[in-house]
Amino acid sequence: MRDTLYLAWRYLAFHRVKTAILVGAITLIVFLPVGLRVIVNQSSRQLTARAEATPLVIGAKGSPTELTLNTLYFSSDVPARTTYAAASEVADTDLAQAIPMYVRFRVRDQPIVGTTLEYFGFRGLKLAEGRQMAVLGEAVLGSRAAEQLGVGPGDHIVSSPESVFDIAGVYPLRMPVVGVLEFTDSADDDAVFVDVKTAWVIEGLGHGHQDLSQPEAAAGVLRREGNVVVGNASVMQFNEITPDNIDSFHFHGDLSDFPLTAVVVVPPDQRSSALLQGRYQTAELSQVVSPTEVMDELLGTILTVEKFVIAGAVTVGLATLATAFLVFALSLRLRRRERETLFKIGGSRAAVATVMTSEIVAVLAVGVLLALLLTFLTQRYGDVIIRSLIR
Amino acid sequence: MMAKTKTAAVALAFAAAACSGSAPDSEVDAGSDAQVAAEVDAVAEADALVVFTTNYPLAYFAERIGGERVRVEFPAPPGIDPAYWTPAADVISAYQGADLILLNGAGYEGWVSKTSLPESKLVNTSSGFEELYVVAEDAVVHTHGPEGEHEHENVAFTTWLDPQLAIEHARAIRDVLAERLPGSEAELQAGFEALEADLTELDGRLEAWAAGLSGQPLLASHPVYRYLARRYELNLKSVHFEPDEAPPAGAWRDLAALMQGHSADWMLWEGPPLDETSARLAGDFGVGSVVFAPTGNRPASGDYLDAMRVNVEALEALPAS
Repeated sequence: MRDTLYLAWRYLAFHRVKTAILVGAITLIVFLPVGLRVIVNQSSRQLTARAEATPLVIGAKGSPTELTLNTLYFSSDVPARTTYAAASEVADTDLAQAIPMYVRFRVRDQPIVGTTLEYFGFRGLKLAEGRQMAVLGEAVLGSRAAEQLGVGPGDHIVSSPESVFDIAGVYPLRMPVVGVLEFTDSADDDAVFVDVKTAWVIEGLGHGHQDLSQPEAAAGVLRREGNVVVGNASVMQFNEITPDNIDSFHFHGDLSDFPLTAVVVVPPDQRSSALLQGRYQTAELSQVVSPTEVMDELLGTILTVEKFVIAGAVTVGLATLATAFLVFALSLRLRRRERETLFKIGGSRAAVATVMTSEIVAVLAVGVLLALLLTFLTQRYGDVIIRSLIR
Repeated sequence: MMAKTKTAAVALAFAAAACSGSAPDSEVDAGSDAQVAAEVDAVAEADALVVFTTNYPLAYFAERIGGERVRVEFPAPPGIDPAYWTPAADVISAYQGADLILLNGAGYEGWVSKTSLPESKLVNTSSGFEELYVVAEDAVVHTHGPEGEHEHENVAFTTWLDPQLAIEHARAIRDVLAERLPGSEAELQAGFEALEADLTELDGRLEAWAAGLSGQPLLASHPVYRYLARRYELNLKSVHFEPDEAPPAGAWRDLAALMQGHSADWMLWEGPPLDETSARLAGDFGVGSVVFAPTGNRPASGDYLDAMRVNVEALEALPAS
């Protein structure tokens, strides 16, 4: 038997290119539908879990999918802006907790999430090292963000300009890192968390500069008209908030008009949730979305696509199997003289058949094993792939 | 969970008492009773609602209303004016850990807008009477950049110096404590009513004193008495003298100009002025000094009510002109 298997092995090793092609084809036939199923299941689970943990999201009228993906996964597509008044309105109803979100800026590839301390409690985020942000300008990093940026408590990060051509736009703000969160295997791991007010400072709505009413700031004064001091273009704005200059930081205008990308709404019960959703049914400028519904819709689309892809994969698989069968059949015919030689040197009919069958079984077995290995890897690392695709 | 913690602590206390077997019975009883009482107190304190405030009047009101149901913390260091205080990061972390953070409002705690505090725990105790805020006329305006003009409205913030508004602060505290401590409404109401009575008594005495003034001009060393002046219709004008600093020459000139049309006999001070300042005031201007401490921070001795009573007594002791 060992001799028979040895002959089969030698044949496959000698025709390694043909064998590799056959094994690859079998692997793909098995892996494509199974792996796709695994990926879809994982993404469904991931999308649904985070959506289910986020009861409602309020934002400006626009794409609900964009609003949900930006709020839940901090995706780079920024939805239309709502205002801080939207968060205050929800809080004033006493029907739910309102968590403002402003996800617009980045530190390199990591999203800056401007929010309030309530977000950490809501998501159950805990500090692995350092402390919680306390003062304007401080940042707390998700574990992967800290790893990607190579920083920890005591280091500094700088917000990235939105465009290299945006010379007069958003000022890069240098921010001290005061804490790093525990790994949660969620989008929060990639985020740079700052107070929502810090995000507004990055936007330029809040800033610090010399007190123009003081004599030492005379160079920055264009003119004085009674109580009005008009600054000129040389007024230097601080690009870092420090204990020395924090008192000079102030915000322009009414806080309630300041921008947010969304408000995460956490009602205590179904009744409050229904009441709140009812209030926004007829709102002209804002919308309330249920992330679960948005994700279900998204998954519905994904599942439809998946069905087509699997049908295609099965068809291709059947065609490939037929081709493989043809390859084996033609191969057997081409190897007629080889079989005759085996008979002449004393090989029984059964032994020759075993050699041929072993070759086919070995190719099929290796193909299936490789497909299983790929499926396992997909299962193991699919989460990471999915998250990087969602981002 | 809390009940379990309490039970465990009391059980531990009993176990500790039971272990001291060699002592005489009476000693054991006395010791264990004290220990159990201490443990129970500690547990009660641990169960209490942790309330942080941004000034002393709010801390005092919360203590009076909440009693043992609250543990009130006001972490500003003694001797400073909390209105101009910026807490360090570790103090802000302590605020973050509170169950409730009581704010004075009216722009009192400017540092709050520059820190990260849990919004769901912040309670502005003057939001119910925002329309009664006193807005100063000398608002600073500066303009630059594309955003254009923006104004930093200068709202007077020593709201509690009007005892009627102090009662409104207290009412807001009672309401929010009742929300956070369900089942203790009666206790909180009793605390509020006792405080209200004390503040009303102060109000009555100040009203009587003010009635006797009949519009007599008064001076204030600092513009911190706007609510007091409005409540009692005082003819009060302010300068910018610091009690612990000798006023510069310009400040004396401003005073002289002010007194041209406002011949006051008395100046209210936040704290005792320097001897040379009060001597010059009396000598050159015929103005006596009287201390009316706003009590934004904890007084060196006594409590808020004691400090306010001292203030009122000082005013009542002023001779009629």
